[in-house]
Amino acid sequence: MSDTALLPMTNPFREDLVSRSRPEPCTVVIFGATGDLTHRKLVPAIYNLAIDGELPPGVKILGFARREKSDEEFRKGLEELNRKVSRSGHDDGIWAKFQESIHYHQSEFTDADGYKRLAERLDAIDRERGGKGNRLFYVASAPEFFDDILTQLKAAGLNKAKDGCWARVIVEKPFGTDLATAQHLNQVVNRTFHEKDTYRIDHYLGKETAQNIMVLRFANAIFEPLWNSRYISHVQVTCAENLGMEGGRGGYYDKSGALRDMVQNHLLQLLSLITMEPPTDLSADGVRDEKVKVIRSLRQWDTPEKVAKNVVRAQYTAGHVDGQPRPGYREEDRVDPESMTESYVAVRLMIDTWRWSGVPFYIRMGKQLPKKATEISIHFKDAPCVLFNALPGGVPGANVLVLRIQPDEGISLRMVSKIPGTSLRLEPVKMDFHYATSFGKGSPEAYERLLLDAMAGDATLFARRDEVEEAWRFIDHIEQAWHQSNTPPPMAEYVAGSWGPKEADELLQQDGNVWRRL
Amino acid sequence: MTMLSMHPELGREVSVGSIDKELRKLWEEDEARTNASLMNLAIYSEAPGALEKNSAAIRELTAEHACRAILVGIDRNAPDASIRAWITAHCHLSHGKKSVCCEQIAFALTGTATGRLRNTVFAHLASDLPLILWWQGELSPRFEDRLYSLVDRFVFDSADWADPRESFGRISEAIGSATREMVVQDLSWTRCFQFRVSVAALFDDPLVLAALPEIETVEVVHHPANRQTALQMVAWLAVQAGWRDGMELDLAVQRRNGNKEGFSFEGPTGKTISVTVTADENSAPLGLVKLSGGGVTVSVSRDAGASHLTRRIETPGHVVEAPGPIDPDTPANLIGEQLSRGGKNTLFQKILPRFRQLLER
Repeated sequence: MSDTALLPMTNPFREDLVSRSRPEPCTVVIFGATGDLTHRKLVPAIYNLAIDGELPPGVKILGFARREKSDEEFRKGLEELNRKVSRSGHDDGIWAKFQESIHYHQSEFTDADGYKRLAERLDAIDRERGGKGNRLFYVASAPEFFDDILTQLKAAGLNKAKDGCWARVIVEKPFGTDLATAQHLNQVVNRTFHEKDTYRIDHYLGKETAQNIMVLRFANAIFEPLWNSRYISHVQVTCAENLGMEGGRGGYYDKSGALRDMVQNHLLQLLSLITMEPPTDLSADGVRDEKVKVIRSLRQWDTPEKVAKNVVRAQYTAGHVDGQPRPGYREEDRVDPESMTESYVAVRLMIDTWRWSGVPFYIRMGKQLPKKATEISIHFKDAPCVLFNALPGGVPGANVLVLRIQPDEGISLRMVSKIPGTSLRLEPVKMDFHYATSFGKGSPEAYERLLLDAMAGDATLFARRDEVEEAWRFIDHIEQAWHQSNTPPPMAEYVAGSWGPKEADELLQQDGNVWRRL
Repeated sequence: MTMLSMHPELGREVSVGSIDKELRKLWEEDEARTNASLMNLAIYSEAPGALEKNSAAIRELTAEHACRAILVGIDRNAPDASIRAWITAHCHLSHGKKSVCCEQIAFALTGTATGRLRNTVFAHLASDLPLILWWQGELSPRFEDRLYSLVDRFVFDSADWADPRESFGRISEAIGSATREMVVQDLSWTRCFQFRVSVAALFDDPLVLAALPEIETVEVVHHPANRQTALQMVAWLAVQAGWRDGMELDLAVQRRNGNKEGFSFEGPTGKTISVTVTADENSAPLGLVKLSGGGVTVSVSRDAGASHLTRRIETPGHVVEAPGPIDPDTPANLIGEQLSRGGKNTLFQKILPRFRQLLER
């Protein structure tokens, strides 16, 4: 037997230590490195991974942006923010070591020479600090530069990994603004990187409670038999925000709106996790194959009439949230006073599959609502109208299973119980599971998990090309009815601090349902 | 009739026959509190004053691990047979708002009443939840089949044992004869968890992994109180890397030389691996694990008082360092770490025979 035949193929010390894919040493190149996302989320996430010992030794960060900065200035800015936002605090000793692996590269996003210098810089860093040449490119710049960055990466040959190495790309949202732009961006991405090396980030999928949806459904035998149109009346997905356009967000938001900003990505992703068939395995494509089938099965609201019947859009008018006065949407900073962008949207969806035939799904997302909450509620059908249901007043409310995504992550189940006493009176009661109560330990930030997965080559929690395009196909019909039709459905109004317009209530009333009170 | 009193740490004293009723009353007194429980956590100790000390540990643990705590204080040599019980709740604010509480029942058993441990104490488990039994100190005659057959996870700290060879023999017998699967957990093993994670992380580097068959020397430094941790680390390295017991040769002479012990292994390619285990009063429980060979040196070290481990790779021309979290030092925190991870601890059972061989030498 030759010596090489005896070499271990896998790391034998990994046995029984972690039950997820193993991240590999690499250099993370962040485009848009002077931006808020890098300072508030990405670098603190990598720092926290280092503190927790999750990061393989030899991970380096190279910030790429247009502003002139030295490595030292870049590190200083990152340190300032890390002190404020790091989940596990800031340790000067650890940071001193950690920052040695942080570098800065100044270049215009369109400057071909800047990318050649980037390639040289990456090789030089590998030579100085060790590393075989794995590259994780994180496109976190303004979206208008996505094309340029990807094209230039290819021109500089940075999309090609050296032998035995890999080159991957993470693309931040928004992934396009409609189907055409998403398809174009996908073409550019896939001309540069293989689909298997492309990671379209949706940070909702990195949240602990989103990951728990599959565990709840497929690790517990009691739910799946009931998870269909025979037992489920309808499903509601709510994403409520109690903020408006503070901090200059109006500029971006007014070009996007609730439907494109939240529904196309985060909420449809949650919906697909709730409604997909059990995957054959937990591989990235095993899971994503099932998710995309759901999006593909959405009944299309492809005429203005269908949109008017199934979708409600609205803007908030001046009101109060948490006792504080709030301006109307059109009076917000950087918002067009004649804007036709929705700050609230409610959509009634139908999934045309055997499992979900006839079950309406309602998604709502709004700004300046009374509180911040994201949750999914599964409303079960009433018990048969005999026995207790035949009593005067019937049964007070059907069973509701609620998955709280944020905040106060947890799961609750509403059921009916007899009120103690000699008479037979029924009341709904709630069984409640709170993550924070049962597991005192905090969860890692979504970006921590997602960055580790990308370093490990696990794309399960990232959106695939067809998922993104199918979601845009559904959304585009609605956007076209709103903005290109001669008979656009009206823009409704709601008072800031209320739970949305009355038209959204009417959307559910047509099916005999009401929004769940949060 | 005995007067039932209020204990400053253990709470309200109750008669053993009315524990459940008194617990219900405890919750009815304040509706604002939420009772949370994911497991039964029992702590057994024969040390004087252990109930109070363990109640304080439970208060700390329940901030992150909701449980029904059952504390057992045993005095086998007391002349009178008696059983006393106290109940209390440990409450913590969740997100600064809701008060989340875990109930605790403390039992003091003396004299011949200690024989009623199983029937009296373990009649108060929360149903359908796993039972974790943390056995403190030496394995006494109370460690018997009728007791550990109830247990889902048996936790002990071999650093407390005067004769670890004999006690590990009993643990192995218990595992072999248990009528249901018993997960055993040595806190000495938990003490080197982050070292093992760090060693594994260092060998994730392909260059380092390629040098594994070339490893020639291993150095382990530990505090004298933590020899078991050091030997378990060595056993783990040997089992996972496929090292067979090597020739004794001159190492046998220096096996126990002052504060040093030596072991010899033979790698899969026939290469001899010399392992030195050094006890150092100034060391952290585990202070250093260093492997060298094939032009590569990897080490994980913890300076006394340091808040993080240092992971280090040295190859020709390169030195890479990265931090890693440290293992907790207090037994309560070690238990907390263990409860966070769960699992069946099969790796410990896998290395146990090899570790026992090292202990025997």
